[in-house]
Amino acid sequence: MTNYLEVKNLSKSFDHFQLHNITFTLPKGYIMGLIGPNGSGKTTTIKLILNMLKRDGGEIKIIGMDNIADEQKAKAQLGVVFDTNYFSDEWKAAEAGKSISAFYPNWNPERFAKMLRKFHIAPEKKVKELSKGMQMKLMLACAFSYDAKLLILDEPTSGLDPVSRDELLQILSEYIEDGEHSVLFSTHITGDLERAADYITYISYGELFFSGSKDEFVDMFRIIKGGIKELSANLRSKAVGVRTFPTGFEALVKAEDTGAFAALDIEPASIDEIVVFTSRKEEAYE
Amino acid sequence: MSNILKAAKLDFSLVKPYSKVIGFTMLLPIAFAAVNRSILTGVSFAMCFIAMTTGYTFSVTEKNSMERLYGILPVKKSEMVIGRYLFVAALGAIALAVSLITQPIVLRALGENVALFDMISAAIGGLFLFALYTVFQIPGYYKFGSIKGRVFLYIPVAGFLVTLFLLPKLPAGTPMIHAIASSPALLIVFAIVLAAVMYAVSIWFSVRIMKKKEM
Repeated sequence: MTNYLEVKNLSKSFDHFQLHNITFTLPKGYIMGLIGPNGSGKTTTIKLILNMLKRDGGEIKIIGMDNIADEQKAKAQLGVVFDTNYFSDEWKAAEAGKSISAFYPNWNPERFAKMLRKFHIAPEKKVKELSKGMQMKLMLACAFSYDAKLLILDEPTSGLDPVSRDELLQILSEYIEDGEHSVLFSTHITGDLERAADYITYISYGELFFSGSKDEFVDMFRIIKGGIKELSANLRSKAVGVRTFPTGFEALVKAEDTGAFAALDIEPASIDEIVVFTSRKEEAYE
Repeated sequence: MSNILKAAKLDFSLVKPYSKVIGFTMLLPIAFAAVNRSILTGVSFAMCFIAMTTGYTFSVTEKNSMERLYGILPVKKSEMVIGRYLFVAALGAIALAVSLITQPIVLRALGENVALFDMISAAIGGLFLFALYTVFQIPGYYKFGSIKGRVFLYIPVAGFLVTLFLLPKLPAGTPMIHAIASSPALLIVFAIVLAAVMYAVSIWFSVRIMKKKEM
């Protein structure tokens, strides 16, 4: 299987934050969600992939090319969407495409015009007059106009209404349909992942918690629910995270550890629950 | 098209919305030329004013967080920086051309005689002033951003004041200075070489700053 993105032992230190040995691979033709709580290192990882930050250690390959040694070649194959627009507010939508088109040998003006029509973006409308969702679509239209093989999106759905989020996920699903494109997108809205992602890389406070298929990730854990008296010391020791209420508890437990608690209520865990429980060890709700 | 030209073209698109202001900046010095009845004054003002608009590209970039766009474009940081110098140089060349066309017309209409030598002197003087302002400003903007970087605009002004203060205190002058001052051709060559060296050093600093910068 060809990998479009390979990140190996990636490390970066700041004064108050460290990203440690992050390793993951994104195969061609798939969507990977990069998840983790705010400040966990998702944007840092993306900026390191884009060489916007200098890595302290590790290796990054974009479609087989080193992200530093072959930076220009790799970036010509890369489409990037950030949480906010990166074009000049004063540009018209058509101008935004025209301004960057020269940098991409594969730029197709007809495709750009088609994308603007498809996304209902008026070419004469100024960037500042577009909604956040439309600005994001404009960045996507640009990436699609030079047939970017790998799309990297940093929190693309934050601040979008449910309709726009749904549209974006639909666009991403169509984008990978031919099996020739891949998507890496960071998000803390895990509902988006349930629908769109094939793979998940979960970074928790600078450490890699998991990287693999979404199904594998969800299958790794179960939620055990019960009355407060049923929260035994054994269960506490096995639990990855526990949430207690005056009337009972919820605990996230690894699937292989659930055998001893068959008498309790055991449910599949959602991605959201896994992230919440693994981010907070124990929390009491009054 | 080389990446440097593409980068310069991108800068043109950045300041396109400000073209009216820049156009006004180019035409305003006609008034100075008319009041002083001197093309040297007019061109000098034009080149100083246009040098001050260099900050537009930086402020537009900052205002729109466009460093992220520069971070994803398939172009080297050094090419982006040299492209900006090229754009600034082009802006200076346009301002000079506009001044050398419009100001003699106005001055002649006012009854002044504008000789070719005056125009060449004004062009060389103006270009040198322009170079002096921009070589300090651009690395300043790259290092400190469009607001704090403006301080670098005053370095040439401070340099002029210090020179004016020191000149009377200097001895009669070295033979080399005498030779340069007495020969206009040598003066022109000296100004061009000095400007080229200043730009080379300025570009080197800017590239170094950008390569170290994390976005």
